[in-house]
Amino acid sequence: MWMGFGRFVVTKAISYFLVLLATVSILYLATYNVIQKVVTSSAAALGVEYRQNLLKTSGAHLTTQQIQVLVTTFQQSYLAQFGFNQPLPIKFSIQIYKMLTLNFGQAYTIIWNGSKSVNVIIAGYLPNTILLFTTATLILIAIGTLIGLLAAKSAGTSWDRIVPIIAVVHSSLPAWWLAFLLIAGLGYDLNLLPTQGMMSVPPPTGALAVDLNVGEHMILPILSLLIVGLGGFAYVVRSLVISTMGEDFVLTARARGLPESRILFKHIFRTASPAITTQAILAITGSFGGALLTEIVFNWPGIGLLTYNAIFANDLPVVVGIVFVTTIILLVGLFIGELVYGLLDPRIRVGSD
Amino acid sequence: MTSQTKKGKPSLLKELFKSKSALTGIVILSVLAGLTIYSVVSLPSNISYTWQNGEAWVLYPIDAPPQWINFLGFPTAPTINLSLSQWTKETISAGAANFSEYSASTTFKWSSGVFPQDLAFEPMFSGNASTIALTWVKPQGPSILVSVSEPASGEAYEAQSQTFTNAASQYILNQTGQYVTQLSKQQVISAFFGKLANDILTSSPLSGTYQVTVQVLSSSPMNMFRSLLVVVGNSYGLMGTDNQDRPIDLGLLAGLPNALEIGFLVSIIAVVIGIVFGGLSGYLGGKKDGLMQWVALVILAMPVLPFLVVISFTQKLNIFLEVVFIAALSWPFYAIIARTVGLSVKSQAFVEADKAMGVPWYRVFASHFIPRLSAVTVAYTVLGIPGGILTAESLAFIGIGPGNLITWGGILDTAFVNQAAVFGFWWWVVFPGLMIVLSAIPFVLLGFAIERIIAPRVSAK
Repeated sequence: MWMGFGRFVVTKAISYFLVLLATVSILYLATYNVIQKVVTSSAAALGVEYRQNLLKTSGAHLTTQQIQVLVTTFQQSYLAQFGFNQPLPIKFSIQIYKMLTLNFGQAYTIIWNGSKSVNVIIAGYLPNTILLFTTATLILIAIGTLIGLLAAKSAGTSWDRIVPIIAVVHSSLPAWWLAFLLIAGLGYDLNLLPTQGMMSVPPPTGALAVDLNVGEHMILPILSLLIVGLGGFAYVVRSLVISTMGEDFVLTARARGLPESRILFKHIFRTASPAITTQAILAITGSFGGALLTEIVFNWPGIGLLTYNAIFANDLPVVVGIVFVTTIILLVGLFIGELVYGLLDPRIRVGSD
Repeated sequence: MTSQTKKGKPSLLKELFKSKSALTGIVILSVLAGLTIYSVVSLPSNISYTWQNGEAWVLYPIDAPPQWINFLGFPTAPTINLSLSQWTKETISAGAANFSEYSASTTFKWSSGVFPQDLAFEPMFSGNASTIALTWVKPQGPSILVSVSEPASGEAYEAQSQTFTNAASQYILNQTGQYVTQLSKQQVISAFFGKLANDILTSSPLSGTYQVTVQVLSSSPMNMFRSLLVVVGNSYGLMGTDNQDRPIDLGLLAGLPNALEIGFLVSIIAVVIGIVFGGLSGYLGGKKDGLMQWVALVILAMPVLPFLVVISFTQKLNIFLEVVFIAALSWPFYAIIARTVGLSVKSQAFVEADKAMGVPWYRVFASHFIPRLSAVTVAYTVLGIPGGILTAESLAFIGIGPGNLITWGGILDTAFVNQAAVFGFWWWVVFPGLMIVLSAIPFVLLGFAIERIIAPRVSAK
């Protein structure tokens, strides 16, 4: 029974790896000039660092000229690592490989924990984005599916009337603007919830207290993402469920006298779940950008805030690193979504087409 | 087929007018269109430069809430713009010399219980004026004489200026016999608006009619233009002002044409690419379909915002480039929808018949798919406009976009940077965001109505 799923995972993994290669190649070509600038400036920055080290450790033994030679060789070898002395096709493949292995050089000004290395900086911010975005997405999918199912059960005209409202909210309400309003309304005026950052200043002591404190800081960001995304997702689930309701096996189940809720959750939901998963995947890609901007307003130290700071500081290497990393993260998210799809769709699980 | 589309078109409009939500959409859309035309016609073409130029906004109050909050029980002082344009000329002979005296006067009613923020006088003329005398008559009689020596045309004399503080000091001296120097702006304002008590500052301004007469004296004839006298209140217009005195309503009006332009262009380009691509993918089927779906996935996986941020570092964005890049990254959503339409049309009997007769695939696609897909294209283009606007405004919020363009996202960015939410400048945050939402409503209403009308047609034989 699991043979089919194994094959499914392998084919999907290959397909997604190819997608990754293609996306990264397109990104690479679109940002080719910028990447060359980033690499040369990184070489220059590392050269300065290297020279200072040489002066500190063996400044007495070496002449300035010797040091200059050493620094130049060092810079040349760094550039060679990025294929600068190679013909163009090889340079392309070397640099695309560097991007795939998250090697983005040195930031201009942004520092994280004393490091100016772009991958270290991004690795510092990324977990916070993943924490916030994954939590929000899981809550959205869970509540959205539940609302969608219940709404389908009581399908009537009242739902159809609020569809335009849901659509307006979904397609035009900026989550980051809503964030402003929530901050102004619930944060400052009523002082109910924390509005800035992910931990109070000073941070509480004890692991549990820290977790609770972070959780408290997540409420408003998640709320703004939920308000924007929930209605649209629930509506899609509802339509999928309604279209499944008319199928023969549902009538059969009813004829057998099974309780309505059992039919809804066991039969209809099971059947509609692969399609729901597809919609969830689309919802993930659609809400990602909004989530990044929401971080900025809440001062949540994730990739979105880092992007904003990098734009402000004109820090090109960081910006380049972010676009590659977010693409990879998004693809991993989509891949996980596909695997869930495979798990839910019995046709795939047993390996028949 | 062709006869069906010919018959179909007028009934689509008719059906649209039957739907209440579509009618609401059309009404709101007309208002937006009217505002867009008004914006293009009434705003000067260099408005985006003026917007950045602090000098241009000195006669506006700073961080002022909208004027109408007065009616909600928050007393505010309104901003009153008075213009002096009807100049009468008089020639005065004094010995051998002839002087020209130009005078104009105006009145205004003050009923607010709150003092205004500032007072500004901006004379406009060409020629050499030797002095300007401004006589300020308060409702209960006493008048203040403001004399401007060596006046400059276009210069704004504010309450803090020597001109006004001197006049206030002189007035206080005349009335009370006390000589007070170094008056604050607040004290100057109270001298001009308040009842003169022993401590100068009174609790509330005098309400009633104020009369202002301006006399310009010159030794040679001059041309007098529309001069301004502004009572700068602590509230302004429909939507208040920001921390650089700029009226929010003006910014929103200036941002409307480009928002709609970007939204519409992004939507139509993305939808057309997506529908053709997805429709073809569904129709061709098999391995070609698999490959095309894979290509769509590649594009879908690229995060729009970070990608455009990095693009903005490689080249200066203009509206056209921004539109092309956003559209190039957002068409896969429509391709997914169109593919299912393509699949459903493909299984119809007439397609099978054409295929059996050996009609080439592109002709089958053109005659059976395009007409069905074009209805979907209209619906999704309308529905996709808000998404395009939202993306562009979101980018503007993080400072990415064509330079020197006034955008709602850009206004929200300055609000964010200046912590408008913290200081309670709600008008600076609420209205730009509301514009983004409001501009979406007509398209969503219309798009849904069109979709509902064409849905049976698309699936019909």
